[in-house]
Amino acid sequence: MIRLPLLGLVLSLLLITAPAVSREREHLQVYITAPYLELRSGPGRGYPIFHVAERDESVQVLYRRTDWFKVRTERGVEGWAAQRDMQRTVLADGTPFKFDLGDRAGFTSHNFEMGIFAGSYSGSTLVSTYASYSLNSQLAAELSVGQFLGKYTNGVVGDLGLTHVLVPEWRLSPFLMLGTGIVHVSPKATLVQPTERTDQTAYVGGGVRFYLTRRFFLRGEYKSHMVFTKRNANEEVDEWKLGFAFFF
Amino acid sequence: METGIRVLLLTAVLMTLPGCASVRNWFHHRSEVRQAKAEAKEEAAQQDAQAAAQDADATPPRVVDPEVERRKIKVPHIRSSNVEIGINDGFISIEDFGTQNAYGLTAAYHITEDFFFLGEYGRAYAGRTSFETLGGNIQLLTSAERRFTYYDISLGYNFLPGETFIGRGHALTTAFYFVGGIGATKFAGDDRFTVNFGGGYRVLPSDWLAIHIQVQDRVFRTDLLGVSKLTNNMEASLGATVFF
Repeated sequence: MIRLPLLGLVLSLLLITAPAVSREREHLQVYITAPYLELRSGPGRGYPIFHVAERDESVQVLYRRTDWFKVRTERGVEGWAAQRDMQRTVLADGTPFKFDLGDRAGFTSHNFEMGIFAGSYSGSTLVSTYASYSLNSQLAAELSVGQFLGKYTNGVVGDLGLTHVLVPEWRLSPFLMLGTGIVHVSPKATLVQPTERTDQTAYVGGGVRFYLTRRFFLRGEYKSHMVFTKRNANEEVDEWKLGFAFFF
Repeated sequence: METGIRVLLLTAVLMTLPGCASVRNWFHHRSEVRQAKAEAKEEAAQQDAQAAAQDADATPPRVVDPEVERRKIKVPHIRSSNVEIGINDGFISIEDFGTQNAYGLTAAYHITEDFFFLGEYGRAYAGRTSFETLGGNIQLLTSAERRFTYYDISLGYNFLPGETFIGRGHALTTAFYFVGGIGATKFAGDDRFTVNFGGGYRVLPSDWLAIHIQVQDRVFRTDLLGVSKLTNNMEASLGATVFF
């Protein structure tokens, strides 16, 4: 009963703050060199074309969603233009309008990566996700978090490390990983005297990534974790996973 | 243990070696810059010499000095609006435990016009099984164990994009979408690997606001009632999201 007003509150907060996000700002003006520029009602090829801007007219580029640009014509009509069509526009000084295309070249060199994985952590089912920031086309700092769900133990893992892509130009490109992390293990309650524990880990690993299309690639990897336990012997844990990722 | 450390060190060496390879051009890069600077200096010196020679020729000054200045365009950053964050509220039918209110948070990233990544987190509170209701004073689970918490990471696919019309002059863009993914459910004191799949309908009253109607099935294996079985937990919800 308390939740509903709370929901309403959050919703109205979102409603109030959201228009502030799309506040007026300096927009880029580009000129159409193709015979015309088609404007659609939504950011997708399935939405209808409702307006056409002519050659030599200018449009203001408001913002971008995936491969579509929201533009405003000289007459104040707002609509969505495709990336392919925007490539045929020029800036006021006549130079072509250039932007990030999200193609194979982007796969070789990009700023961010994110992905989701399914796999195995020491024999338990693993669900994990990662995000990485590229320092250059070969080296990236990477953060991954995951949860493993086994028959006898459950737990969460978090890793922070470096990834080195050996040959970023290749469609199927191998990479190496090195880093550190933590693992929190909680044995299932049915076992005698279950004790939860958190340990630091270090890992080395390797894998391959394979460019699919647009901004997507497949990524498979193996990590060998060394768990620094408080007991006499350290533990070695194998992690295998396969997943979908994209760059931007 | 020793092999582990050896592998660690070896990999460290392996990683740094290609790293060095990637910075090997820095030295040459500097030399190129130096060369370019030297060339620029030489050119300037030549121009000075030419100007001096022209002065020596003592040509009459031009009557009109053309002041042609190239327009410099500063390209402002084009904002991306691919992130969608929101809340939802609805019902979930927890197998054997009745249908209950469920509410949650969602975050999505739109990668292309067709595909998006979706992360969801939700909570519900399981009711009583019919066994408990009929058996009188029997409690299968404690109050804390009845807390049903789930999360998932999914991939979504938009299909049937279109428009819906309000009155004669107003159209809202819409799309149906499929989602499917993996995650975990915490229920009855245990975390279980969960597969989720379903679909939804998204209506956008404006470009930054979306209303969702969504139906998903969350499937996980449990042996809570004696035998190990797959349970289907259908969820229907209404949500609101904002694009950033």
